Amino acid sequence: MTDGDRDRGSVVFTYVAPFAGVLLVAIGIGAAVPGGYAILEGPVLNCGEPTIAVEGPDATADRFGDDGPALRQSQFEALSPAEQAAFREALTAPRNEAHVAGDFPNAAAFRNGSLVAYQGEQHYVTTVSENPCFQAAPLQFPLGVFAIALGVVLILTPPIYKRLVALDRRAR
Amino acid sequence: MNRAVVEGTALGLLAVSVLALWVRSRWHARLESDGGTITREGLQYEVDRVGSELYRWLTTTNHRDIGLLYIAFGTVAGLWGGVDAMMLRTELLTPPADIWTPETYNALFTTHGLTMLIFFVLPVFYGIGNYVLPLLIGADDMAFPRVNAVGFWMLPPALLMARMGLLVQVGGQILSLFFPPEAIEFFLTVREVSVGWTLYAPLSVQQPNPQIDLLLLGLHLSGIATTVGAINFIATIVYEREEGVTWANMDIFSWNMLVTSGLVLFAFPLLGSALVMLLLDRNLGTTFFATEGGGPILWQHLFWFWGHPEVYILFLPAAGLMSTILPKFVGRKLFGYQFIVYSTLGLGVLSFGVWAHHMFTTSVDPRLKASFMAISIAIAVPSAIKVFNWITTIWDGDIRLTAPFILCAGGISTFIIGGVTGVFLAVIPVDILYHGTYYVVGHFHLIVVGIIPFLMIAASYYWYPLITGRWYDTRLARFQAVLLIFGSFVTFVTLTVIGGLGFPRRQAVYPPELQFGQQIATIGAYVIGLSALLWLYNMLVSYWQGDVVKTTDPWDLKATNQFTREWRWFEQRLVEKYDIEPTEPTSTRRSYAPEGEPKGFTEGSVGNVAQTVTRNAGLAAIGGFVGTVLMAGGLGTAWLVGVLDPASFGEIAEIVGLPARPLFGVVLFLVGGTVTWPLLFLAFSEYLPGRLLFETGLVFATVISTGFAVAFYTGQQGLALVGYLGFVLVAHWAYGLGLSVTYQYLESRRQARFWGVESDD
Ligand code: HEM
Ligand SMILES: [Cu+2]
Repeated sequence: MTDGDRDRGSVVFTYVAPFAGVLLVAIGIGAAVPGGYAILEGPVLNCGEPTIAVEGPDATADRFGDDGPALRQSQFEALSPAEQAAFREALTAPRNEAHVAGDFPNAAAFRNGSLVAYQGEQHYVTTVSENPCFQAAPLQFPLGVFAIALGVVLILTPPIYKRLVALDRRAR
Repeated sequence: MNRAVVEGTALGLLAVSVLALWVRSRWHARLESDGGTITREGLQYEVDRVGSELYRWLTTTNHRDIGLLYIAFGTVAGLWGGVDAMMLRTELLTPPADIWTPETYNALFTTHGLTMLIFFVLPVFYGIGNYVLPLLIGADDMAFPRVNAVGFWMLPPALLMARMGLLVQVGGQILSLFFPPEAIEFFLTVREVSVGWTLYAPLSVQQPNPQIDLLLLGLHLSGIATTVGAINFIATIVYEREEGVTWANMDIFSWNMLVTSGLVLFAFPLLGSALVMLLLDRNLGTTFFATEGGGPILWQHLFWFWGHPEVYILFLPAAGLMSTILPKFVGRKLFGYQFIVYSTLGLGVLSFGVWAHHMFTTSVDPRLKASFMAISIAIAVPSAIKVFNWITTIWDGDIRLTAPFILCAGGISTFIIGGVTGVFLAVIPVDILYHGTYYVVGHFHLIVVGIIPFLMIAASYYWYPLITGRWYDTRLARFQAVLLIFGSFVTFVTLTVIGGLGFPRRQAVYPPELQFGQQIATIGAYVIGLSALLWLYNMLVSYWQGDVVKTTDPWDLKATNQFTREWRWFEQRLVEKYDIEPTEPTSTRRSYAPEGEPKGFTEGSVGNVAQTVTRNAGLAAIGGFVGTVLMAGGLGTAWLVGVLDPASFGEIAEIVGLPARPLFGVVLFLVGGTVTWPLLFLAFSEYLPGRLLFETGLVFATVISTGFAVAFYTGQQGLALVGYLGFVLVAHWAYGLGLSVTYQYLESRRQARFWGVESDD
């Protein structure tokens, strides 16, 4: 019988160390992946720019026709330049969504849903995602990488241990 | 972050690693035969070989081949759904939805649930069933081999359709580099479905995403495949049994596959109809599930009339494997065979009478709900019978601590916790509190990540010698089993507790109080993920490099009279193919010969402490120098990362009366590391714990690291403190290892020279 053979080596270096290693790798991934993401995110992705969705006049009328809930109304011209740009972009985008890149004075109103009059027609506008920037402690990434590296070493202890035992035999 | 790209990359990486393993192992195999040169003919040979293999696998109707295809397919789906799970858990590391958007999170849990439930579990069990069930009942093949192949080949397109959203999204990302958005609008519109795996109307009717239609078609196709497979199992078990296999002595796994297939037969056609109705509602304006028509609750009734039996369809094969594998490793016959068979049949029938316990929070009539509550509590009885029988089987048994046994024991324990938490959910007032919380997620994952995959993996180890003729790495397997069980407990018990506190599920955003619990669950999930990779590695690499099985009774089953039919088939094959003698029980027991325990550092021929010290101070100094350099690497990194203040080195200079300059400190540090500490080490090594010198070195380094940590502490807090302590400890370990290993290495060379001369005469 092979599988059940009693282990004659060191329990610490054949089971405990790799086990701790896997734990360390898991913790390290948990720290390093978001930590690394926080570092990359600023330059690469447009975080901090909420996504708005703009519905066409028909859908808006369906929803808020005569007996729909009363929403805050505003004029397209009163929106900030960034809001206007996002509004226009969303109107033509496949999913009717766009990022607001810049000043967003109507954020609170959009978050609750709001009606905007544009070229004489009403459009329902909502914020569908805030896209908040991910925050992480600066040390999280390097320490995470360190934990992963140390974990890998610990996972590899059983073969290393065998070598060291052999070395010990030869030294005697 | 862009989900499609991340998930695509993760899956791609997995595929490439598997391919690399394969190529490497083929390469090794070829090295032996022709010395490793690549010739044009060699390459041509490889290509031809792959071609003919591919043709064979695509056209095979052999039940064992199809079983392996099913298992491979289920594994791929499991890994895919597993990547989804890892991405879910990563999002949950922090309270806000700042890694994925909430919509992406919704899509992730939807596709995760569907992929795991529909495309992972049953295909794997069908695979195991296809491979071993005919062997267990002595059939030549499945009853309808071609139907069997057709049933399998419906699954890959079904999976592709169900997960098309991801593929289309990745495609859109690539195309958007070359085309304006208007030209590829379709690719930018399709998304992974995000309405939850239960596809509740009216949301699933009203959401415009065309991927929902593809998903419904894919699910429908997979339902047909499942039904076809079930018919085949039933026909095989009823008509193809060998003479002597009766209902009264048929093995439990086959019994469970029979009952499972019966459930499939009644449940899946219903799911198929419901899916078609949903498709019609979405595309042709019917009103089955519209509020003005049949009503959204109708969907829930139809869905769960399939859904609850589905839970048992997933569970019963695992229970069958448990009843098959567990007795082999405790050296006892399964306790209460008849009770187990009856409890399985009972579960099968009852499972159709409890579906509304998923709808306790809806408007269903309370009197009806009460009756569903009663049956739901009653259904715990047959399950409890199984558990008692398993435990009784183990009781007083002659336990062999193998990976399959560890997984069986782990499976029983997760099943107990998962089951008991489930009984609570069957009670209406409790369910109303916990329905939408992590308590539910914890409860069912203790089963779907507990007993179900545990037993799949146990089966993969148990039958590995039978299928491949080789051994897997048994130590790695035991390690992997413990990791998997540990990770599952940590993750899902934590989720159950969080849910017990009332926190809602299916939310990317959660209150900050919960963060610590969520982080623990995520770390546990990563452990599960890593253990899954270890399993995959073991399976693949052992297939090419495992030890060849040299006995016809690899598990020593004859000794306990459990040499079942599939092993008899294995034995017969070995005898026919290689002319191996059938193994007899007495001859398989290897005698146990403990090796000599390694001796302490100073024992043996080398002499006592004093002699060693004087003779070997030089070696120790060299070792100390190597250790110091290694340690400097660790400390240097700590300084780079910013958790160690170099100014603190100035202080050691001050202690010995030199100006407080870091340079002096560094020199002192070098001298100490090369001379003082190694000498202390040699002097004390005898009194430190550890059998081998390097163990002693590690202990020594750990002890002095505490002093170092105190001496060089400069007020680090929080993460910086963790980092500081971590780096200090590891740098000292590097020192201890460097010192002791270098020392041993030099010593071994000295000995080699010494003994080399002596053994000459
Ligand atoms: C590595 C192991 C796994 C982890 C870490 C994991 C994690 C998760 C998480 C985080 C959720 C979402 C919870 C929420 O927000 O409500 C979830 C949902 C779910 N999981 Fe898993 N899971 C794993 C394996 C499995 C397996 C093997 C199955 C089935 C065989 C499964 C079936 C489901 C189902 C059905 C849902 C509910 C989806 C929904 O709410 O629509 N999971 N899982
Ligand atoms: Cu149920």
